[in-house]
Amino acid sequence: MTSYQFRTRIRAAIANANLQQALDANALRRVQGRVTAFASLPDWKERRQRAHAVRADVISRLDEYLERFIEKAIGNGIIVHRANDAAEAINIISKIVGATGQSPLPKLIAKSKSMVSEEINLNHALEAAGHRVIETDLGEYIVQLRGEKPAHIITPAVHLRRHQVGQLFHEKLGIPYTEDIPTLTNTARKVLREVFLTADVGVSGVNFGVAETGALCIVTNEGNGRMVTTLPPIHIALMGMERLVPTLDDLALMLSLLPRSATGQKLSVYTQLIHSPRRADETDGAHERHLIILDNGRSRLLNSPLQEALYCIRCGACLNACPVFRELGGHAYVGSDGSIAPYPGPIGSVVSPGLLGLEQFGHLAQASSLCGACKDACPVDIDLPRLLTRVRAGGSKQETVSSGVGLSFVSRFGLKVYGVIGKSATLFSAAQKLAGIGSRLISPFSAWMWIPSFTGWGFSKDFPRPAVRSFRERFSHRPQRTKDSATESTEISVKKKEERREPDVPEAPKVNLVERFTEELTALGGNVYRVPRDKLNDRLIEFLRERKVEAVLMWDSVEGVDEIHLTRAGIRAVRSADPSLRVGITGVASAIAETGTLVVPSGKGQMLSASLLPEIHIAVAQSSQIVPSLEEALRSDAVRGAASVALISGPSRTADIEMTLTIGVHGPEELHAFVTGEQL
Amino acid sequence: MRTVQLFITCLVDTFFPEVGEAMVDVLREAGVDVDFPRDQTCCGQPTFNAGLRAEARQMAEHTIRVFDSRKGDVVLPSGSCAHMIRHNYEELFADDPLWLPRAKSLAARTYEFTEYLVDVLSITDPSTSSGRRFSPRWDGLLTYHPTCHLHRGLGIDRQPKTLLANIHGAQIIELPEAEDCCGFGGIFSVEHPELSAEMLKRKIRNLEKTQSPTLVVCDAGCLMHIQGGLKRNKMKQRVVHIAQILANQ
Repeated sequence: MTSYQFRTRIRAAIANANLQQALDANALRRVQGRVTAFASLPDWKERRQRAHAVRADVISRLDEYLERFIEKAIGNGIIVHRANDAAEAINIISKIVGATGQSPLPKLIAKSKSMVSEEINLNHALEAAGHRVIETDLGEYIVQLRGEKPAHIITPAVHLRRHQVGQLFHEKLGIPYTEDIPTLTNTARKVLREVFLTADVGVSGVNFGVAETGALCIVTNEGNGRMVTTLPPIHIALMGMERLVPTLDDLALMLSLLPRSATGQKLSVYTQLIHSPRRADETDGAHERHLIILDNGRSRLLNSPLQEALYCIRCGACLNACPVFRELGGHAYVGSDGSIAPYPGPIGSVVSPGLLGLEQFGHLAQASSLCGACKDACPVDIDLPRLLTRVRAGGSKQETVSSGVGLSFVSRFGLKVYGVIGKSATLFSAAQKLAGIGSRLISPFSAWMWIPSFTGWGFSKDFPRPAVRSFRERFSHRPQRTKDSATESTEISVKKKEERREPDVPEAPKVNLVERFTEELTALGGNVYRVPRDKLNDRLIEFLRERKVEAVLMWDSVEGVDEIHLTRAGIRAVRSADPSLRVGITGVASAIAETGTLVVPSGKGQMLSASLLPEIHIAVAQSSQIVPSLEEALRSDAVRGAASVALISGPSRTADIEMTLTIGVHGPEELHAFVTGEQL
Repeated sequence: MRTVQLFITCLVDTFFPEVGEAMVDVLREAGVDVDFPRDQTCCGQPTFNAGLRAEARQMAEHTIRVFDSRKGDVVLPSGSCAHMIRHNYEELFADDPLWLPRAKSLAARTYEFTEYLVDVLSITDPSTSSGRRFSPRWDGLLTYHPTCHLHRGLGIDRQPKTLLANIHGAQIIELPEAEDCCGFGGIFSVEHPELSAEMLKRKIRNLEKTQSPTLVVCDAGCLMHIQGGLKRNKMKQRVVHIAQILANQ
């Protein structure tokens, strides 16, 4: 039975004009963004099927992959914990947090977005234990300040408009009221920068775990994910046990789909690969990394008809495509006790009841017209309409006994009666007759009948009057067709049901990698300078002088950059992460042409902070380091061997307020790539 | 002569018999003999979608029995019922080795009406098909709503659009946000009247934008839903089934 609470929320959401405008804008922008992003991936349909197969393989052999992954992660120096349920996970995290540092309580915890943490209600538990937990994703920070839950798994503040954020920051952060999104973003940046620098513990989610290497992949745009995994001494990563991919090649495949589906980007600004804690010869990165692998109902889901829901990579595309989500937003998806489901939208209406119980969330699955827009949008081709009908059929239990989860009493009764009638043609035609005649007593003159609102149907539409003579009656009285004319067109064309094959993808033409890289990174708001090798130092000095920079945070050695030159020009190279420095200079392990990405690994003399803390990040790349694709970049030893790697695609950005793109959130707001070498 | 088995579907049978007649006319004009198994009732979709699988199964078994004994392709005037038979019967009988092959064999010879005309009978231009009395004309604007189970579920979109594009005199206007659901969804429209109403409102607004007085669909459920909304709002637009246009009804 659809809960009273759910119905109340539905009505309130529909009546909330502000919310409706915000959700309409979200649907239009996000759906269009996704379509545009996939246009740059000509073989996306084939990739989608491959991604489906990869996820299906992982889920069908999850134990095996988990074992391999955990072994690798432990070998890399990550402390791995497994939690059966929310309580165990919270207990483990509380112990880790409680044991940190010298002073006992309270601890400051900086969090980047993690839906698993929402699922287990982590913030509440940590706060109850006296700790301070600060969400650092701009959208999450906004909803936390409002005392709310995220309204969308990717865009937590999707339900709000700029004047509400302005009002909130005015009240909670004491700034003058403004609707200027860059000002609001900058305010959050300042407040949260302090949090990053002083936090005892950083907590993050995990987008993918890579079984072959034990790597944790974390994808963010603002840079907060990098901050919480780099600056605090302890990093705790929370991962649902299903979030694995077998290999780095599979990861590259997933990463070609996830950001496109989530935010319409080819790659998110920051894609991190974390292998291990800070190494002895490194000067930053968390000293201690914990990984908590959460079951919390996933094993049960795995052994149920809802298994396919575990393929989900949490991109949120099904939410954006869903006409029901477009009316509701995430906060209306409530359980029978009124609590907000951790996962909303089409996937949430399967996963929330699947993980947390049909009694609590089963009715959500009835809030779908099964239109299939979600399935079409899903980058791993999860058959969501089918899963929704399975939830309705009581599908999180093993047996598929009919149950009509979430149906109202009247609908259930009506459909059961219909089920009896529908088994017998005699009853069926008798019922038709009865309805045809009966409806004429109610509506003698009109073929469309007004029916009252309580019927559900009558809330917004008239109902057709059943025919007195149904088709079956009419058909028998029709004259048989004379069979005189010959039938020439009876050749059967080869039928191709549901033809969905795409034409073969033409081979990509050879492109100049430097040019392509320049084009892509420039489109993302980065700057690319192609500089002959012998001019590199002069150009760098010129660049820094123009900005009156006297000191830079710089790697011990950056290929082609001569520190003596800088010193002579009055520019000091600093090797400790001083947050007041405006410029950081790093090298790269490689750069990716197709996405305009700089691959920046940690290592001896290679501070992670140099590409993260300053407002301006300068990366020096050799033209020979530019590779065509993400796959290729991930295959290199420099990536596999590093404690941590950041794949950087543009300056830090957010679109968490009204989906308005704002550059420069937590990470650098300027990104300059100096490409040098032979072929420019 | 080719004979098809007509599965009229419960909504057309009960509420829109004229759609069924139009469909029979078109098929006969195309040189196909139409057989109507009188024992048929409903494919079971309303109960299946609601999660009442035991009830759905009984109706599905009934349907399979009715058509098992008859030869020829099964043709339906409804994308969602064709989708039910082609996709959901397999789901319904997945664990039943006796019924699954029967369900699959029915699925393999089940066609939605426009799919049958275009893909099987190779009719793309109705007015020139083999010199038959099959020359639909339409004076003025038409707009087309691709119903969800038809175009997303079965991947049938090109077929109805091709047929419509070749209708004499008709000017086809594209419906904005055409692929958005109208909010019917079977029991959904009853269980969630508020959500269904919002989706329907959007569909009707988009229909108004086309200024077309006529909206064409290939599904009786969506026809009933959108027309019901138009009637409630005292609006003049009509929703018709594609068979009615093709039959000059």
